[in-house]
Amino acid sequence: MSWDVSRRVFLRGAGLAAVGIGMAPSALLERTARAASLAGRTLVQVFLRGGCDGLNLCVPYADGQYPGLRGVIALPRAEVLDLDGYFGLNAALSPLKTLWDEGRLAFTHAVGSYGLSRSHFDAQDFMESGTPGDKATASGWLDRTVAAVPGSEVTQAVAFSAQLPRSFLGGEPVLVATDLASFDLHARGWRDEAERTLRAMYDARTDVIGTVGKETFAAMDLLLRNPQVLAAPTGGATYPAGAAGSGLRQAAALLKAGLGTRCIFVNVPGAFDTHSNQIAQNDTEFTRLGQALFAFARDLGGLLDSVTVMVTTEFGRTAYANGSAGTDHGSAHCMILLGGGVRGHRVHGRWPGLSKTELYQDRDLAVTTDFRDAFAEAARAALGVDPAGLFPGYSPGPGPGAVA
Amino acid sequence: MGVGAALAAQSSPVYIGPRVAVHLLNRIGFGPRPGQAAEILRAGLDRYIDEQLDPSPDAGLDTRLRPLTTLGTSLPDAVALYRSQDRNIGRFQDEALAAKVIRAVHGVNQLQEVLVDFWFNHFNVFLGDGFDRIFTPFYEREAIRPHVLGRFRDLLGATAAHPGMLYYLDNYLSTISRQDPRTGVLLTGLNENYGRELMELHTLGVDAGYSQDDVVNSALCFTGWTIDLRTSGQFVYRDQNHDQRAKTVFGLGLPAGGGRADGERLLDFLAAHPATSRRVSLRLLQRFVSDDPPAALVDRLAAVFTRTGGDLRAVMEAILGAPEFWAEAFGSGKPKTPVEFAVSAVRAVDGEVANARPVVAAIAAMGMPLYQCVPPTGYSNLGRDWVNPSSQLARINFGLDLAAGAVAGVRVDARAVVRSADGDPDDPASAADALSADLFGRGLSRATRDAAASVSRSGSVGVAARVAGLVLGGPEMQAR
Repeated sequence: MSWDVSRRVFLRGAGLAAVGIGMAPSALLERTARAASLAGRTLVQVFLRGGCDGLNLCVPYADGQYPGLRGVIALPRAEVLDLDGYFGLNAALSPLKTLWDEGRLAFTHAVGSYGLSRSHFDAQDFMESGTPGDKATASGWLDRTVAAVPGSEVTQAVAFSAQLPRSFLGGEPVLVATDLASFDLHARGWRDEAERTLRAMYDARTDVIGTVGKETFAAMDLLLRNPQVLAAPTGGATYPAGAAGSGLRQAAALLKAGLGTRCIFVNVPGAFDTHSNQIAQNDTEFTRLGQALFAFARDLGGLLDSVTVMVTTEFGRTAYANGSAGTDHGSAHCMILLGGGVRGHRVHGRWPGLSKTELYQDRDLAVTTDFRDAFAEAARAALGVDPAGLFPGYSPGPGPGAVA
Repeated sequence: MGVGAALAAQSSPVYIGPRVAVHLLNRIGFGPRPGQAAEILRAGLDRYIDEQLDPSPDAGLDTRLRPLTTLGTSLPDAVALYRSQDRNIGRFQDEALAAKVIRAVHGVNQLQEVLVDFWFNHFNVFLGDGFDRIFTPFYEREAIRPHVLGRFRDLLGATAAHPGMLYYLDNYLSTISRQDPRTGVLLTGLNENYGRELMELHTLGVDAGYSQDDVVNSALCFTGWTIDLRTSGQFVYRDQNHDQRAKTVFGLGLPAGGGRADGERLLDFLAAHPATSRRVSLRLLQRFVSDDPPAALVDRLAAVFTRTGGDLRAVMEAILGAPEFWAEAFGSGKPKTPVEFAVSAVRAVDGEVANARPVVAAIAAMGMPLYQCVPPTGYSNLGRDWVNPSSQLARINFGLDLAAGAVAGVRVDARAVVRSADGDPDDPASAADALSADLFGRGLSRATRDAAASVSRSGSVGVAARVAGLVLGGPEMQAR
């Protein structure tokens, strides 16, 4: 992974910086924020952990095979909102229907990779590193994406997550936080002295702990100098509780603050791993997800044009129900796309069908779009990134045409 | 790194004894209490190790836990509580969380608490999920705790048959296929969740080479292993739900009609498999030695595991006999996970936990809500996975608040801590040196020590509280 030092601009004065933990301890870099000249959009990836069932999200309800495959977990007609005569939206996601009707929202079905494995751990690792089958990849795909943003003086990446996502592993600076609002030092009565001394302690250390200390204070600086990052939602937007709501709410505030954020990751560790009681569990999680995405769109208002959101998960689930009113780990999943450049009001991808011969290994929805093609398409459309170098060992194809 | 090389890498005089004692307390426990490093050094580290390997009754801890009355709830009563949606479920959970913190902070049998934490993560269940809201504390107490210094096979078997695990990985629902009486269609009763994670996470590891068929057959072995959710909440084996066909799992052939023995024999096989010894050894070494333990050390430990038939006490002894373990005393250390950091901070200032809730909340704010890891992978054993600005700020703030007596429910007297380490609580330099000697074996860097020593002598917050707070929030405290 090489550094192109000419692209880094050293800032005097404004002191905005946030440095991520990478494989190599990195020196603190500072960059200018030129919100006015922001070229291209911001890419927001929402990652649903656990293997979200795409067939229960964008439902092939009109397919004759559907009731038999799904048995007790087939959705009744009344719980599906028709999208295009064949697919329907799980009614728990009803706020998304409005965005679909407005042409802002699309789906890409049957996305995945056979190299992904049905293990959560491996599948997430392969999807986030962007190298299915290879566990030795040092960087994450978003790290490489952010590094490749052409001609940009600002590349600020943010992850709303308890830990640094594997997608961002690497040398690019990234701010990892769960709650920006509480990002200040305590020490009432001696705050300045506490800050001065702690900075000195962490500045003197060169290892990973020293780096995180420097990052922490840099992030604190950034937030204190830009209080609009903590502003309340506008546009009547009401976010639900939970990781998607919290992450997207803060993402919207960050975007409206115009600090030049180009890449945001929202980690959603919800109960998507529906081995049992799928309908009820999905209802709960989908309700929150739908409300969160809808609120995000309303909160941003016109600014939604400059943001491309993609919602992904590490794999889909079995087309057949299992014995516990749920589904087991599968292959292809369904992505949700929202915002700028999205060809809305369509279900993209090549639908493989649900007959026994069309299912993969007699159990899973077959993969017809490699996730790398879909990710590359979104990264190019949103960020102007050349897909060629994004996925080591793989040249992305044209992509499903979901984002332009 | 060998011990010799590690010593040679030091640039200033190293006080070997105190440093080694602190290291031991940081690795097989949750860190030193004031004066503890000197005390175990005097009595002999071997003696401390022996005591930790053979836990004895801890009356003091029992007294501390007595006010948490829901800890004594029976399983059938807990099931009734859950079914009635009683608001006491919240109290039941709160007290389970409080007990974990109190044990870690105040328990004399520190190694046992560390191992319970380790093995709970390895055999993770999620407190927030349905019946696991009440099963989880029973699971830790009944399936994990009794076996952490026993035999791996016993630990594995106890988790496989405990309602906490059966519920979490849905095995209680997994049954043989049945014919739908209305349509005559054969409906599968199986779900693969436990069958897969048993091999992937609990034993062999994902690279062992088992196939999708093996996953299905593994799951079939446990059909019929279920829970009486209506009344007792106990494990019950229902033979009529068991798939009695002959099956092969990863080379193990099981004849037809095996019944419950299918599962037991699979557990025997998996517990004895070389991939399991390697995987378990690696994970233990990640916890106790380093995020990236040398391959040779993993091999040696795996050999002990195999030779002793999975004797976890013997394995622990082997870790403590490894030069690599002791060499880590002179390295930069392993970053602490949130629970390791928070508990070590409370211990370091001799905190008295009267109400554990704020500490529980702080650990959650640092990114590690206890008992609430959603995926079966459990919380990472790798220190580096926990290093990020959000967690870091929460830790710094916790340290500053704790030393100043501002963490509700935890009584701290920073002046007494400094005095007990032979420091002057009104002199920043003296206080910093005292804490460095007592809690770090003089391991605070020059920069940390000088920064702490530079605080003003006057202020609304006392010198001892400020110096201790800075040390707790500082870089050396973040590693062990």
